[in-house]
Amino acid sequence: MTTLNQIGFLVRKDLRIELRKRESLISMAFFGVLVLVTLSIAVGGGRRVPPETGAGILWVAALFSGVLGLGRVFARERENGCVAALLVSPMNPGSLYAAKALVNLTLMVASQIVLVPVFFALFGQGLAGGLAAVVLPLLLLDVAFSSAGTLLSAVAAGTRRNEVLLPILLFPLLLPVVVLGVKASGAALQGKAGGGLGAVEPLAAFCVIYSVAGYFLFPFAAREV
Amino acid sequence: MMPRLSLTLSILAALLVPAAAAAVFFHAPVEQTMGVVQKIFYFHLALALSAFLSFAVACVSGILYLLRRERRFDVAGAASVEIGVVFTTLVLITGSLWGRSIWNTWWTWDPRLTTSLILWLIYASYLILRSAVEEEGRRATFCAVIAVAGFLDVPIVFLSARMFRSIHPTIITSDSVGLEPPMVRTLLLCLVAFLVLWAVLFRLRCSLLRNEARVRDLQFELER
Amino acid sequence: MPTTSADAPFLTVEGVRKAYGGVEALRGVSFTLPRGEFLCLFGPNGAGKSTLLKILSTLLPQSAGRVRVAGFDLEENSAAFRARLGVVSHQSYLYHDLTALENLEFYAGLYAVADPRGTALALLEQAGLYERRHSPAAEFSRGMLQRLSIARALVNDPSLLLLDEPYTGLDEHAANRLRKQLELLRDQERTIVMVTHNLRRGLESATRLGILSRGRLCCMERRGSMTPEAFEALYFDHLERM
Repeated sequence: MTTLNQIGFLVRKDLRIELRKRESLISMAFFGVLVLVTLSIAVGGGRRVPPETGAGILWVAALFSGVLGLGRVFARERENGCVAALLVSPMNPGSLYAAKALVNLTLMVASQIVLVPVFFALFGQGLAGGLAAVVLPLLLLDVAFSSAGTLLSAVAAGTRRNEVLLPILLFPLLLPVVVLGVKASGAALQGKAGGGLGAVEPLAAFCVIYSVAGYFLFPFAAREV
Repeated sequence: MMPRLSLTLSILAALLVPAAAAAVFFHAPVEQTMGVVQKIFYFHLALALSAFLSFAVACVSGILYLLRRERRFDVAGAASVEIGVVFTTLVLITGSLWGRSIWNTWWTWDPRLTTSLILWLIYASYLILRSAVEEEGRRATFCAVIAVAGFLDVPIVFLSARMFRSIHPTIITSDSVGLEPPMVRTLLLCLVAFLVLWAVLFRLRCSLLRNEARVRDLQFELER
Repeated sequence: MPTTSADAPFLTVEGVRKAYGGVEALRGVSFTLPRGEFLCLFGPNGAGKSTLLKILSTLLPQSAGRVRVAGFDLEENSAAFRARLGVVSHQSYLYHDLTALENLEFYAGLYAVADPRGTALALLEQAGLYERRHSPAAEFSRGMLQRLSIARALVNDPSLLLLDEPYTGLDEHAANRLRKQLELLRDQERTIVMVTHNLRRGLESATRLGILSRGRLCCMERRGSMTPEAFEALYFDHLERM
C-alpha cells in the first residue's frame, strides 16, 4: 500500500467510528457554543465588542472545543493496545500521524460549522467583514492545532493524566498561533482588506514546521506503548 | 567527591559572579536617562542568553536521545530545562522590575518579554510532564519530543511577538553597540560569569540526576 | 523471499542485548528455532520476557545483537519482517466500537491482503464467531475477544507468531479452547514464541521450553527431553537461585 492509501484507509476507519459513536463531534460543538455563551455573558451580554476582542473570543472557543476532540483522537488507539498492532504492521508510522492529524482537522472544521454562526449571532453587531473574514485564519488555526496537537496527543495519551496534560502541553506551544491568528482575524473583522496578511506567513510557517516535525517525532512517542 | 572540572568551575563561578556584581555597581557608570535602575540590564541580558542556551542544549540532547537512547542525553536535557526555567523566571522578574520603574508598569507585551514568557510556559510544561511519567525510558522519550517541539516554536514565538508594538530598548544592533566602553566591559563580565554559573549548575544537576537514576537501578537489580 | 531449507533455523536470535542506564534488561540472548516449533519462554517478572518480545515485534530497538526470520534481518528489512509477523497479547488490539467483521477487514486491509472481506469471513468461521460477525467487539466475552484477537493476528497469514501472556484473564473453558487453537496453529507449520509465567499452560502445547532469568536465557530444552515434573523442578530451582 502506498503512504497515501494507508492514510486514507486509517482516516476512513476513524471517521466510521466517529459517525457511529459521535463521541467527539457533538461534545466539541456543544462545548464550543458553551464557551461562546459564557464569554458573551462575561463581557456583559449583548454589548458590542471591539473586533480584536471578538476575534479573541472566537479563538478561545475554537481552542477549547478543539482540545476536547484531540484527547480522543489518539487515546482511542491506546485503549486496547491497537496502536501496537498498527506499529507491528508493515504500515509506515508517519502515516498514522498524518491520518490522526487529518481526522482531528476534519472534526475541528465540522464543529466550527456550528461554532462560527453562533459566534456571529452573539457578537456580530459592529463587526465588519462577516463570515468570509474569519474563514482563512480559522482554517490556519485548525491546521496548526492539528499538526502540533496530534504530536502532543501521542505524548499525553502515554501518561496516566491524558486529559489534564494535553492542554498543559499544547496551549503554551500554540500561544504564538493565538497571537498571530487574533491579529489576522481582528484586522479582517475591522474590515481592513489585507490588514492581517503579515500574520498569515508565520502562521503558515508554524503549520509547515509542526507537520514535518510531527511526521518524524510522532513514531517515537507512539511506540512507547 | 566532586570531579575536578566541577570543582574548578565552582570556584571560578564563586569568584566571577561577585566580581560581575561589583562591576555592575562600581565599574559601570550610571545611565543618564534611566538612572540607577538601568544597572539591572547587565544581569537581565546575561540571564536571558544563558536561558536561551539551556533550551538549545535541551533540544540537541532531545535529538541525540531519540537517536541513541542513552540515559546521559535525557539527564542533560532535564538538567538544562530546569536551569533554563529558573533563569527565565529571573529574566521575567528583572524585566518586570525594570519595566515598573521605566515604563511605570509591571508587565508590558513587549516582543522580548513576550518571547521569554511563552518560553517559560513551554518549558514549565516540560517539567510538569516529567513529574507525571514514572517509567524512565518512556519519560525520556516524551521529554525529548517536547524539548525538540518546544525549541522549534522559538522562531514563530519571536515572529508573533513582533505583532506587539515594542517599547523595549534595542541596545545592540547589527552595526553599533549603544554602550559606553565600561558598560560593554561590565556586560561581557556578567555574560562570562553567568555562563560559568550555568556550566556549574548544569554539571551538578546532571550528576545528581545520574545518581538518582543509579539508585533506582540498584533497587531494581535487588528486587529482580 | 529468501528460501530456507527444511532444517535451517527459521528464527535466529543472536546476542540480543537491551541496556538502559545501568540496567541490562537483556544480557545477550541467543537461540535458534526451526520452522514449525512452538517455543514457550518462562520467567518471573522483570526477567526480560516482555522486553524480548517487544524487540522481536520491532516495537523496541535492541542495543546490540541481531534477529532474523527466514533470512530477513529485523533492522535492515523491518517492513518485510513485519509483513510475516503476527502478534497476540493480553490486550485485544481490537476496536471495541467496530464489529468483529469490520475489525478483521480493517487489519486485513492494513496488510494489503488481496481479498480483505473474504479473509475476514474465513477467519471468523474458523474462530467460531461467524454468527456474531456483525456484533461490536465491545459486546464480546473475554474468551470470544481472545479468539477474535487471534483471528486478527492471522489476517496476514504470518509465519511467525508472538504471544504475550495470552492466557491472562481467561476462564478454564476459554483457556482450553485457546490451547486447542494454538496447537492447531503449531501443526500448521507456523513458528510460535509464547511468553508466560503460567507454567502449566505453557507446558501443555510447547515443543521447546526456555527459562529467562535476569536477562539471560538460562535453559532451552526440547519438550520431549524431560517430564513436566522435571522441568517444573528446574524452573523453581532457577527462581530460588536468584
